[in-house]
Amino acid sequence: MKNPFEGLRPALQVIVSEGKVLPATGQAVEDLMRPDHAEVIDSLRMGDDKLMEVLLETPNRKPYVELKPVYRAERHPLRYFQDGSARTFFLGDVTEGVRRSPINVAQIGAAAVFRKDNGQVNVYHAIHQIVLMMDKKAVSFGDRVEELVSKAGARFKFHDTMELDGETERTSPGKEPRSRAAHKAHHLMAQLEDELGRSLPREKGQWLVLDGSLGKDLHSWRDVSEFIGVTKSFSKDPIFKIPGARGGQVANLYDLLAGLPFSARTCAFSARSGKIAVWYVRLREQKHMDYPLMGVIKVEYPNPAAEAIPSQIIDEISSALVAERQVTPHGKDIRWHAHLYAIYLAEQAVKNGFVSTEALKAGLKWPTQTAGVTVS
Amino acid sequence: MPDETQAGEESAVNRRVVGKASATEREPNSSEKFSFWLRAEEIVNPFDIVEAGQMADTKTFGLVTNIKQVTDAPSHLSNYISSDFGSTEGEPQTPRQGANVAEVSVLANYDPSEPKRYPMGIYMPVQSDSPIRFADEAGIHVALGIDKMFEYEKEYKEKVTIPAGLIQMSNGTKVRVYLDKRYVLGPEGAHVNIAGISGLATKTSYAMFLIQSILQTVGAKDIAVILLNVKQNDLLVIDKPRKSVKPEEHELWEFLGLRAKPFENVRYLLPWGKETQTTGVPNCFGDLPDQFQTYAYSLEDVVGNRANPGPGLNLLIRVPDPWDTLGALIGEVQQGVSNQESKWKTVTTWDALLNGPPLMDRGIPQGVGEVKASSVGRFVRILRRVVKNRQSGLFVQQRAPRKACNLGEEIRKIQGGQTTVVDIAKLTDEERALVFGHIIQEVYGMYAEANLEDRPDLPKKVIIFVDELNKYAPSHRGDSESSILEYVLDIAARGRSLGVVLISAEQFMSEVHGQVVGNCATKVIGRSDSSELSDASYRFIAQDVKAHLTRLDKGELLLSHPIYRQPVKIEFPRPAYQSIGHERTG
Repeated sequence: MKNPFEGLRPALQVIVSEGKVLPATGQAVEDLMRPDHAEVIDSLRMGDDKLMEVLLETPNRKPYVELKPVYRAERHPLRYFQDGSARTFFLGDVTEGVRRSPINVAQIGAAAVFRKDNGQVNVYHAIHQIVLMMDKKAVSFGDRVEELVSKAGARFKFHDTMELDGETERTSPGKEPRSRAAHKAHHLMAQLEDELGRSLPREKGQWLVLDGSLGKDLHSWRDVSEFIGVTKSFSKDPIFKIPGARGGQVANLYDLLAGLPFSARTCAFSARSGKIAVWYVRLREQKHMDYPLMGVIKVEYPNPAAEAIPSQIIDEISSALVAERQVTPHGKDIRWHAHLYAIYLAEQAVKNGFVSTEALKAGLKWPTQTAGVTVS
Repeated sequence: MPDETQAGEESAVNRRVVGKASATEREPNSSEKFSFWLRAEEIVNPFDIVEAGQMADTKTFGLVTNIKQVTDAPSHLSNYISSDFGSTEGEPQTPRQGANVAEVSVLANYDPSEPKRYPMGIYMPVQSDSPIRFADEAGIHVALGIDKMFEYEKEYKEKVTIPAGLIQMSNGTKVRVYLDKRYVLGPEGAHVNIAGISGLATKTSYAMFLIQSILQTVGAKDIAVILLNVKQNDLLVIDKPRKSVKPEEHELWEFLGLRAKPFENVRYLLPWGKETQTTGVPNCFGDLPDQFQTYAYSLEDVVGNRANPGPGLNLLIRVPDPWDTLGALIGEVQQGVSNQESKWKTVTTWDALLNGPPLMDRGIPQGVGEVKASSVGRFVRILRRVVKNRQSGLFVQQRAPRKACNLGEEIRKIQGGQTTVVDIAKLTDEERALVFGHIIQEVYGMYAEANLEDRPDLPKKVIIFVDELNKYAPSHRGDSESSILEYVLDIAARGRSLGVVLISAEQFMSEVHGQVVGNCATKVIGRSDSSELSDASYRFIAQDVKAHLTRLDKGELLLSHPIYRQPVKIEFPRPAYQSIGHERTG
């Protein structure tokens, strides 16, 4: 089998010959993010929407709406499911005089699966990239490294860890380059997801379900219709004003979801000045769960017009989502209770396209320097 | 010989890819085994033979031994939870991802190039993602080693292929399989053993089919057949065509290159019975064959004389004899009677032996030589039970040669192209042992001691078919110990060089002496139960394959032959004679 990282070898050779490399102990080390990254992202993206008091649907004014699961044999709106994944590895630091830069390699990817009438799922498309990341301006040979990677082939990309993108600065505040790498990788992954999501040949009525909270990319998706974002690990910060007698009551997320019955949704709240409708759907009975927040998903529905959304649409989507509770990735993912299986499959399609950690460690080695000669 | 195109040439284009080889961290492919996943909706079954793309443009053939479904559920609990915590209602919105994965035992590697670049074949593991197809007939012949038989036939102009049945694969492909004459009739190997549950394994039918196949393909003129009929009148009408042979059965016979016809040149030897003297009817089931001879045993027939030694009284005494007391007495009696020694001169009938001197005097046992009277009494009691009290009528005081023949003499008359059926269906166990023992003694004597110049008329080969072999060659010596065992062991060990071939059957191979089974080059197994299959006799079958033997259908058999690299599942056409005498020719 050919070394999948062969394309990066010339760039690594330049780094070795031009600077002094302090390799990571042993081989490449996976740079893990916090496991609840999705929750962090959701929290950050919620921004100022700490208090959700405006209902963004009509005519429903009730806090909870019971749903009858709608299975695909009856109606089958949710057809495409998309997910992305990023895995970042720290290769070491390169120093040049007093300046230094961490060197990271990320495997990023996105995949969309399509569900047929019989429920079988096929991968519609999957994209994978290998990205070499460093602080380009910290060393004099940054441009040469970038150039060499750009010549390595379409699968390889170079990215400047310190380049501003507006997103990483929010998710990973601070200037430390190594800590930015994993967030940068996620940002690049989001770009792949954007590219993939737009390219799907969806017919009218074929909804796309994105994994995770809808980010700023939403603005560039004005022309894309019929999609939702589904979050399984969401921010616990928001406060809700639940409609009811005497002007309703204010509740935190725990209170809101504790009262949410099985196979039901909350009313849809306005977020980001009405550009997004947010509601929660309970997929699993509370008696089977350890905790009221388990078995619940957060749904985000883009609403560029910022006008009240017909409750019927929200009910239809939510009913279809309740039907997604069978089957689950139980035993494979600790978030199984809120994981949509089709999304899980998309995630697997991405991850299965990654080069294994073992192969990466074996394939990504610093060229050895012996008596001033670089040995490849 | 079927039209042999190059293996796999019908080729890739016509035969669709049913899946791809799969090697994983936990289940790597190896030189002996590989796995492949199946396309959705694709069906394969155990015993199908598949072809995998191999390195250097060669092909590797393999036998499917098991098929598993793998899913991404790590436990059954996950499936339970996935089904909405045990709800049996409804269908999952997204069915769980799963794949059917077949496990395959490697049979052979085939290099289509000429000359072969890899004379030893390529036994590298089948590489992951290699395309898998059903093998075609030529490919299956390569996989099993049958192509080598064709090469031999071509080179030496000698017919060695004996049709043994057909393999039916899940994709509808029917493939003829052949046995190699050199491993069925000698000299490389010999003997066929058939085991399986009674009524389901179709042991007798397969033996008859195989004998027909041998006679029709590799020289009926040179082969004599002796069949022992042990059940009803199953083999007493084998010269009569079966009326109900369906067109598809004819097609099957023809597909195998054979003709659906009854046995020819058959003679029947039927036992004398208690009523035969008065009615003239032998002691057998059902209607009598058109022509037959009756056989019986007088004392002289069993003991023999100087010119023609008989099978011996020892075949009738099937009791433990740890100190060889009975053996010594039998020796005394045999010698005295056959040599007509003075004190034995009056002993010419069974009654005289059992009631008169020198063994008995007015009902009291007498010592003979060094054998004490008590042992003589035991001998007389046992022999009386066998030849008088519990006999079927086979033992007569005096045999009139015009009415009943000596079985040994008739066996010595066997000719090439002739089938002799000896009926033992109504005989007692001791009588059966005597008859079978007598036959193999005679045959063994003819071939082991014969000088070809003395006996130019002797058939080159003789095939003996016997059911319930476990009675004559039991795996454990015990109460029913039989001295036939020695003869059976001799035939099993030396038969291949002598030209004496034993086609035997029994329900349980585990109950047959290990040396006999071990010397059977070809083994055929029908439906058997799992406890039987756990016996060491079945070690030659892979564990996965054993499980499938417990659910073979009637008429399906597992065939193991020295040429084949793995046992294969076969079917065969029903014999074209009247297999059960209940059916009439009309």
